[in-house]
Amino acid sequence: MAFAPTSKLTTESGSGVFPSLVLVQGEEQRLIPLKHSPFSVGRKVDKDLVIADPRVSRDHAKIVSEDGVFFLIDEGSKHGTFVNGQRVQRQKLERNDRLEFGVRDGAYVVFHPQHPTSNTAREFLSQISGLQISTDTTDLEKLTMFLEAARKLNTTGVLDEILVTLVETTLKLTRAERGYVFLKSEEGALRLAAGRNSKGEPLLDDKTISHSILEEAVNSASEYLVTDTSQSLDLAARRSIMAYDLRTVICIPLRKPQIQTRREPVTSETAPSTGGEIMGALYVDSRFATRDISSVSHDILRAVATEAASLVENARLVQAEEAARRYQQELAIASAMQQRLMEVHIPEVPFARVNGRNLPCKEIGGDFFDAVSTKDYFAVAVADVCGKGVSAALLANTLQGMIYSHLVARMPLAEIVAAVNLFFTQKHLGEKYATVVIARITPDGELEYVNCGHVPPLLISNHQVTRPEKGNLPVGLLAEATYESGTCRLQPGDRLLIVTDGVTEAENARGDFFENERLEKVASTSSSFEDILSSVANFCGGTPLTDDCTVVELVYTG
Amino acid sequence: MNLKIDTRTTEGVTVVSCAGRIVFGDEASALRSELKTILNSSKKVVLDLSEVSYIDSGGLGTLVGVYSSARSAGADIKLAGLGQRVRDVLQITKLVTVFEVYDNAQKARAAFR
Repeated sequence: MAFAPTSKLTTESGSGVFPSLVLVQGEEQRLIPLKHSPFSVGRKVDKDLVIADPRVSRDHAKIVSEDGVFFLIDEGSKHGTFVNGQRVQRQKLERNDRLEFGVRDGAYVVFHPQHPTSNTAREFLSQISGLQISTDTTDLEKLTMFLEAARKLNTTGVLDEILVTLVETTLKLTRAERGYVFLKSEEGALRLAAGRNSKGEPLLDDKTISHSILEEAVNSASEYLVTDTSQSLDLAARRSIMAYDLRTVICIPLRKPQIQTRREPVTSETAPSTGGEIMGALYVDSRFATRDISSVSHDILRAVATEAASLVENARLVQAEEAARRYQQELAIASAMQQRLMEVHIPEVPFARVNGRNLPCKEIGGDFFDAVSTKDYFAVAVADVCGKGVSAALLANTLQGMIYSHLVARMPLAEIVAAVNLFFTQKHLGEKYATVVIARITPDGELEYVNCGHVPPLLISNHQVTRPEKGNLPVGLLAEATYESGTCRLQPGDRLLIVTDGVTEAENARGDFFENERLEKVASTSSSFEDILSSVANFCGGTPLTDDCTVVELVYTG
Repeated sequence: MNLKIDTRTTEGVTVVSCAGRIVFGDEASALRSELKTILNSSKKVVLDLSEVSYIDSGGLGTLVGVYSSARSAGADIKLAGLGQRVRDVLQITKLVTVFEVYDNAQKARAAFR
């Protein structure tokens, strides 16, 4: 099963008005901001949440906001929409509701989850303010102080600041000499994330830290609190404890906060300490046995670790969100650039005109057309790059650039497509290729065309349709392909109509194709290329296009 | 997956029978890897497409891709039993001029002798 994140992330910062969804799939959890309403879910690629599982319907469900209240509405899905295990048609959503779409045994979505100790990452970031510190405090007050401090950290370098504050506060609480936070890397190794001594100076990882205790704490997921190592026989063998005379060692694993659903209710006894995977450890040691450590209760230190883990997790979510946002911005820039490159500026010439339209079926398609005017002729090119998405768009850009520059250089048409074919086949682009038609007309009506594997163009003269049949192989498939152009003479009023196979293969609900016959009929009876597109739309009814449709007409006016 | 591939080798010729749709994605990948395996042991391959209802641009790319690699490896792939849709696509793209095409698998097999 694969899940695709939405590409519709807006760049606005979180306002706190919109809740979040957490997609839970096995060990993985992904935060999806619910930034607009309706928020669609289904198997179709244009959904906000795409679930590529055959049990999920194409249009499965949507989440809508009504006066700040969120409802989950089933869109007539085949296998049903479930909230907390109950099949629903329309259901008001509460925090921590468990949502399932068709699939009952796999991934699920948690609506607006509440972490045991903190809110969503964004809300966390918005908590900025000063902090009251009084000197004469009890342990519990100290703990409260720490929690406040940690919550109110500023936004800059979130994770690092949280960790340093965590270490400093723990050192103050315990009056220990050194404090460290270790976080597990993706490979599972423990890496030092922050280290401070009691004077607040940064510390690096070194051999004097008891790595054996650290690793045991993480591996066994249990806490170590040793206040006098000399009295603990089983610790006497540990190298660093012996060598550096560590008398006090505290090591508390940091657990990833689990997102709980109503199906698995949280009880106050189990909530903070069970379940979550170990994400690192808080480690504190001293070369002397401190009274303070024994006086700070075990539970308080555990609470510190729980809070810290939650904060670290939130900070990581914020970082991931930021990275995703930047990535989306880059993609948006690339997409805008692609669209500018593909924009057609049709030159005006006295003897001919070009009209064209492209209906992409996805965001980025592989069809394009272009028009070029030189001192001898007016040329139009239509191409269909196989496949869709970014790879097709990249290829389309390259192809368009090559054709454009060769046309401007007034190269013979057959040589242009041969050069393109050579380029594509030599670059070994896999099985990527394109079908192309290039046609150019001189002021006295001489038309030359080259067709590379494309639907044959239609020549319409006095409502009579002929198909100039001369054709070649597509470009990019076979290095040894050779190309020939054809010619014919046009009379004023004659039109050359070029379409991509998205038009002839447009499908209606019965599974029929639009086909050449319908195309020729509408081409012969109408005088506008727009009629072709509306005829295709009428034919398809509500059936969505499965391929880009491009229609271009070159009219010789004489 | 909407493509069923069945392979049978007799008298040194391997007939690969496809049924369903040859389209971009799992179907085209399956055909590509199946033919790659076959071409390791067989140099004479007939691709029987009589049960293929549809081929898209991606499927066509795969077909030409395996054909080209077969040729450069000294092997030969002949096509047999093209339905109307597949025939139309090969006609429009002029790929009929590239492939050797036979009415049915039997005739294609015979052409190898």
